[in-house]
Amino acid sequence: MHVHELNPRKTLVTVIIFVLIIIVGFLTLKKPRFKYKLSLEQTVELAHDYEAGFHPFELADVLGKKTNNVVFIDIRDRFSYGQGHIPGAENISAYDLSEPKNIKHLKELQDKEMTVVLYGNDQLQANGPWMWFRQVGFDNVKILLGGYEYYAAHKDALEQTVEDISYLRGEPRYDFAEVAKSVGSVDNTQKVANKKPVVVRRKKKPKVASGGC
Amino acid sequence: MNRNYFFLTVLMLVLAAGTFFLNREPEYEQIKPEKLLYDIIQPTRYVTTDQVARFIIDKDPTLELVDVRSAASYDHFSLNNAINIPFDSLLSPNYQDYFGIPGTKVVFYSNDDILADQAWVITRRMGINETYVMKGGLNCWIETIIQPKEPPEDAPYTAFELYQFRKGAQMYFTGAKVDNSVVKKKKVAVRRKKKQKVAAGGC
Repeated sequence: MHVHELNPRKTLVTVIIFVLIIIVGFLTLKKPRFKYKLSLEQTVELAHDYEAGFHPFELADVLGKKTNNVVFIDIRDRFSYGQGHIPGAENISAYDLSEPKNIKHLKELQDKEMTVVLYGNDQLQANGPWMWFRQVGFDNVKILLGGYEYYAAHKDALEQTVEDISYLRGEPRYDFAEVAKSVGSVDNTQKVANKKPVVVRRKKKPKVASGGC
Repeated sequence: MNRNYFFLTVLMLVLAAGTFFLNREPEYEQIKPEKLLYDIIQPTRYVTTDQVARFIIDKDPTLELVDVRSAASYDHFSLNNAINIPFDSLLSPNYQDYFGIPGTKVVFYSNDDILADQAWVITRRMGINETYVMKGGLNCWIETIIQPKEPPEDAPYTAFELYQFRKGAQMYFTGAKVDNSVVKKKKVAVRRKKKQKVAAGGC
């Protein structure tokens, strides 16, 4: 015979206390600030989400005030931002992105169904923060393709960049194997090319007419 | 038989049956989102093509190069001793043994650095340490190691040192011979004394 069978009341009290402790524990549990909303598999698929990129030519409409549902966030430091930035862009340095006031601001923009476009000096600088925001549930966050450098170089003719594909990343610029192969053999061919054929010039026999002693 | 024991037995059987419905896919330990963002904004994950070339030339035993491009691209060209883990297969259980080996640094590369950087973010979220990204990717590899450009004459000494290293690396990776054509032999012009014509005078 077990103890709880001898004193059921005592057992009941123990169980109630136990359950209360668990409930208090759950209630006082600190809620994490961020949670992954995308699984790892969904994050892998994110790389193929071509809608997540904001093209430089789309900027023309925003700067021309044709659309007003886009907010640019410059994640470079204050110094770089001060040197030049996209007109109307807000500056939130990458180091301050998770500050509570900034997260609150971004949540407000998300609630208003505004598109947030992150940019850094180049696309790589904003790539990580963009992926992070998407993973924690900010599905309104996009990345500026080409980054600020491309914008700065083409800011006077943004509409004309529609045809340009040089800012698109991920493509090989060379046939790697072919270039490596050609470099490996270039010097041998140069050697052959540089070798001038030896021309044997025989000393001309002096003509009788040229005189002499 | 005690009724309590009967209920306990049923409960155990139900729980045991529940294990059949468990997700058999591997669950990865994940770092906290705050920690992931902190790591993302650190630029320390980037290594240059020169550093990677040095690791390969020195036959660094701790180096593990991971090509995250497609298998076809990898077969066409890849860096020395690199393994191919296509980006879409990053989570495949077949490749998990390549990650997290103590004392090994994993360097991701792709055509440029975006895809490799995304692979870094995913593996970092999985809690894998000692992972890096080759900045500029293979495009930069070609421009710096395979086809290095000679610095201008007024460039600092370090630029020439770097160029010398790259020329050596170029030879190492392509088998190119020393380019002697740069040092051109000055043609010695031999001017022979003209023979005096008969008409010009004589003995």
